[in-house]
Amino acid sequence: MLPDGSLRADRVWKRFRAERVPRTARGRYDAWSKRLATSRGSGRSYRWALRDVSFDVGPGEAVGLVGRNGSGKSTLLKILCRVMYQHAGEVDVRGRVGALIEVRAGIHPELTGRENVQLYGSLLGLSRRDVQSRFDDIIDFAEVSQAVDRQVKFYSSGMQMRLGFAVAAFLEPNVLLIDEVLAVGDASFQQKCLDRMRHVLSQGTTVVFVSHDLAAVESTCSRVLWLDDGILRQDGDSREVVGAYRRGVEEMAEVGFAADSEIRLVKAEVDGPGGAVPATDEPLEVRLRLESDVGGKGLLVVGISEGPASPIVMVSNQVVVEPRTPLDVRCAFERLPLAGGRYYLWVGVFQRNRDLLPWHPAASFEVFGPGLDKAPSAIVRLGPVAAKTIWEVT
Amino acid sequence: MVEGSASSPAGVADQPPPEIVFRRRLHLVTAMKELWAARELVGTLTERNLRSRYKQTFLGFAWSLITPVTLMVVFTVFLRRVAHIETGGIPYPIFAYVGLLPWSFFSGAVSASSQVIVQNNALLNKIYCPREVFPISTVTSAAVDTACAMVALLVLFAVNGFMPTAGVVWVPMLTVVLVLFTVGVCLLLSALTVYVRDLRYGVTIILQLGLFATPVAYSLNTVVPKAWQPVYAACNPLGPVIQGFRDTVLVGDQPEYGLLGIAAVSSLVWVALGYVVFKRMETGFSDVA
Repeated sequence: MLPDGSLRADRVWKRFRAERVPRTARGRYDAWSKRLATSRGSGRSYRWALRDVSFDVGPGEAVGLVGRNGSGKSTLLKILCRVMYQHAGEVDVRGRVGALIEVRAGIHPELTGRENVQLYGSLLGLSRRDVQSRFDDIIDFAEVSQAVDRQVKFYSSGMQMRLGFAVAAFLEPNVLLIDEVLAVGDASFQQKCLDRMRHVLSQGTTVVFVSHDLAAVESTCSRVLWLDDGILRQDGDSREVVGAYRRGVEEMAEVGFAADSEIRLVKAEVDGPGGAVPATDEPLEVRLRLESDVGGKGLLVVGISEGPASPIVMVSNQVVVEPRTPLDVRCAFERLPLAGGRYYLWVGVFQRNRDLLPWHPAASFEVFGPGLDKAPSAIVRLGPVAAKTIWEVT
Repeated sequence: MVEGSASSPAGVADQPPPEIVFRRRLHLVTAMKELWAARELVGTLTERNLRSRYKQTFLGFAWSLITPVTLMVVFTVFLRRVAHIETGGIPYPIFAYVGLLPWSFFSGAVSASSQVIVQNNALLNKIYCPREVFPISTVTSAAVDTACAMVALLVLFAVNGFMPTAGVVWVPMLTVVLVLFTVGVCLLLSALTVYVRDLRYGVTIILQLGLFATPVAYSLNTVVPKAWQPVYAACNPLGPVIQGFRDTVLVGDQPEYGLLGIAAVSSLVWVALGYVVFKRMETGFSDVA
């Protein structure tokens, strides 16, 4: 018998109809008559949303779930909270499950904020008294005290999201499943949500957290599951898996030169001091060669990122490329402020409303240097910027 | 562990081995416990149904009175002009209204239940709860409406100077049969409508026909021949129930045990059938709705 707050998935499979025919009678009839009309069909075709996914989560564990769009993350969450049923395999979830599956989870538009809190509490299996005792905390957290007696359909989308999160997080479930909550809400509320998640974690609630915000996943979760096209690709320590996932995503983005643009990039090289490997706090040299058939004038932008299109460092300079004359550009960084690791060089040339050379990763390189200090779980670090420090503790 | 298989995702089979395919098993005791634990949820959903239905309306709860009262007036004014209806000496408005109360309870619950799963799919897709609370909450909402509509019956009694007899002691038993039948039909219909959306429109017509196929405006004995009454009771348990309400509350007789027994058995069959079908179909709700 598993203790409250534990999750177990054993060889879970889930499929959906591939041709998107609804399983209603009408849908079946249409599909059936079509199949008769064409030929002896190959039978129904299915798309597997989850294939043979197995894992165990203990009480109080924080697990992140990452993967590209359509990789089965939300489906897995829905199966975990027993909203959907798996096609094969077994799922066992112990204790009360609080879920925030879509942004407005549990929020009924026709009812007031107060009634919604009550309804969601009953859905979680709490008595009216239990809900009442937490009511003020929920309203305070969601910052909707002015609007408790207003119908939720008149709330702003941010308010609906905040109320949804507050209810799910304050009714103290044993397991909290959260899907992309941080997508809505301003920066300060996102921080508040992350703080609250850490708080419920410290109280022993199990949290499963789906997000594309890898920094938030890394800072909140000790363990990460990576779903790739319905298959559990990797399950392990969050830094390791998130790192592998980042690299996996970049493989998709593919380092290379954009071909069909007004200005073409034909060479991109990155070197450290004297042609050596780049290193933390040492000079870095970027050498590019641009070509164009028609010529062009624009802003050359060079950025360095860990993979995604938003760079940690970005510099720019005006360039003029003459027709059919290669232009060599050398950009020297006096000092590279990045910690050790793998980085990507992104390049683009832009005019006011036009991309002469689209923003794309042009090269990848390794930086030698010390790793960063380990961040405590309360802190989300945005980029691996290295800083030389002198401490005096007296 | 999983790391090993990570390098070769192609190693995952195309199909799950048939022995692990999920089969829904119905444990009656567990399911009932779960339903009992969700009783407060039924209350909240009922409250929600009623509140959201009457929110932003002027007349609010008066609407639950208006429908049966209007039908009663229509029956009294028009139907009696064209046909003589044997009421056994009871004022016709009271006679009709006693039939209309159970009928409006049944038809209110059934017509709402045909849409309840589809309408609540936002909730169904987000939170787990025993799904049967949704059709059950339509029955309880209809019960509240009917309770409100009873006010008009008291007024009718007062206006006509009519006193209900001691037969009211039979009311709880008749109500149980009525509720069982209604719950059974609601469970069955709410599950089927998810897959056969046409039912939503079909139900409206069937209920309109049902109003005349059930002894609401007339008495059972004047229309259905004695020999056919047992068959009728099995097919439409509402008939003997409505007749029972009149026989006991208005006339002061005992209900016809034979017919009522058949109706009770039929209602139990409906509940069992509805529940099993509902639980079977439940697993696919969130894939479709």
